[in-house]
Order: sequence, then structure tokens, then C-alpha cells
Amino acid sequence: MTELETWQLAAIRAGDTGVFSSWLAGAEPVLRRALRPFAAMVDTEAVLQEGLLKVWQVAPTVKEDGRPEVLLRFAHTVVRNQAVSEARRLRTLPAGATPPPDSDPPVELSPPDPMLRERIGVCRDKLPGKPKSVLKARLEAEGNTHDGVLAEGLGMSLNTFLQNFTRARKLLAECLKKAGVDLALELSP
Amino acid sequence: MTRDEELLVEKTLTSYRRRGIDGEIQPSPAWADLSPQLRETAFEETVKLRKVERALGMSSTVRAVLDRIHRG
Repeated sequence: MTELETWQLAAIRAGDTGVFSSWLAGAEPVLRRALRPFAAMVDTEAVLQEGLLKVWQVAPTVKEDGRPEVLLRFAHTVVRNQAVSEARRLRTLPAGATPPPDSDPPVELSPPDPMLRERIGVCRDKLPGKPKSVLKARLEAEGNTHDGVLAEGLGMSLNTFLQNFTRARKLLAECLKKAGVDLALELSP
Repeated sequence: MTRDEELLVEKTLTSYRRRGIDGEIQPSPAWADLSPQLRETAFEETVKLRKVERALGMSSTVRAVLDRIHRG
């Protein structure tokens, strides 16, 4: 366990949301990938958010164990247990059935990629008006506003909003591909 | 994928999720209407979208979790 991890864990235990926010940014992609086997069984977005909230609530009790990334390994267990529990509740994982095998616990956070950031920024700026505005609206909503409300704010029906969002995603992916970035490959484990 | 299926998948890609009476974060209603194959597609598209969001600042999942923490 590095000095940085020790400091980070102490700050999170003490309730520092700024430090937790930095940790979350690196942990989220890693933990989402661990939910891949549950994709058809549970709404992984809801499970991940609920799991991350539990991590924040229980973080003060997490103790160092001398190995790297104790909080990430703890979060991996919390999120996976949340997925199993939700799959049983929804009966997409029948009682008595064995859950999908666990992947290896993560050993490092996902680092930021400045080159990818620059390329995505360039492609985002090239989007035409409506797709760009719906992308901006969802990003600024910070996950706390229903798409119907965002659509209304932009003077669109919900379906038009969603169609524009699909278009924005496709145009971004095409633009990135031309720049040599394949998001599907970028996201491989 | 049909246009209706595409819209259904798109509805699940937002990080917005309602809370239940017990305070738990609820699954997207649209997710329940997806076939197993479309749920896999929705997962893959969500991963890609969050990567884009993260590159532009912070993923909307992280923002949603932090918002819930700040609201208490």
C-alpha cells in the first residue's frame, strides 16, 4: 500500500468527498467492468450507483491490510454482492443457482488518458447542433434529471431527444474511429 | 435493432435512476423491457458513453453518486 493510498483512505474515512470523488473517477470503470457477467440479469447502472453509495457509507470501517488498493478490492466485493442480491430479487438468477464466476479482484484504478480526452473533445465540438445540445444537456444534468425534463428544456419531445442522443453517440464514435480511436477496443479489459 | 428497440436502449443509458420508498436506487423501467441480448447491448453502450463522459470531465455515474451523497 503506497503512502498516497494510505492518505487517500484516511481522507475518505474522515468524510472528504473531494478525495472520494477523485477515487471514484478511477474506480468506476474498473468496477463497471466487473459487472459485465451480470449485464443481462440486472440494471448494472443502478447496481453500481447503489454499490458506490454503500462503499461511501461503509468506508470508515475499511482497514488497511498491507496489500494495494484495499478500498477498490472492498468496493469490488460490495458491488458484486449488490448485483447477486438484485439478480436474486428479480429472479434473473434463480434461487439456488450459482452466480457468474467472480473476476480477479482489481489491483489498480483506471488512469485518465489525456490523448483520448483531447480527441473526444475535438469530436464533441464537431457535432451538429441538436446532437451536441442533447449531449451537453445530459452531461450538465449530472445524472439527477429525467430525460423527459431535459427534452422539455430543449423544446423537444422525449423521443426526439433520445433519437438525437443516439445520433450524437454514433457521430462521436465515427469521428473517433477516423482519428484512430475505437471505443470498443479502448474499453477492452 | 429496430427503431423502437434503439429508443428503449437509449432510455437506459442515462445515469438518472429513481429512488424507491426505501431509498434504494431503482432499475430503469426501460431496462426491464429489454431482451437479454439488448441488455448486453445496453451495457456495452453504457460503458462507451461513460468513457466519453469521463474524458469530457467526470462520468455522469460519478456525478450522480456524488449528488446523492451531498443531498444526504
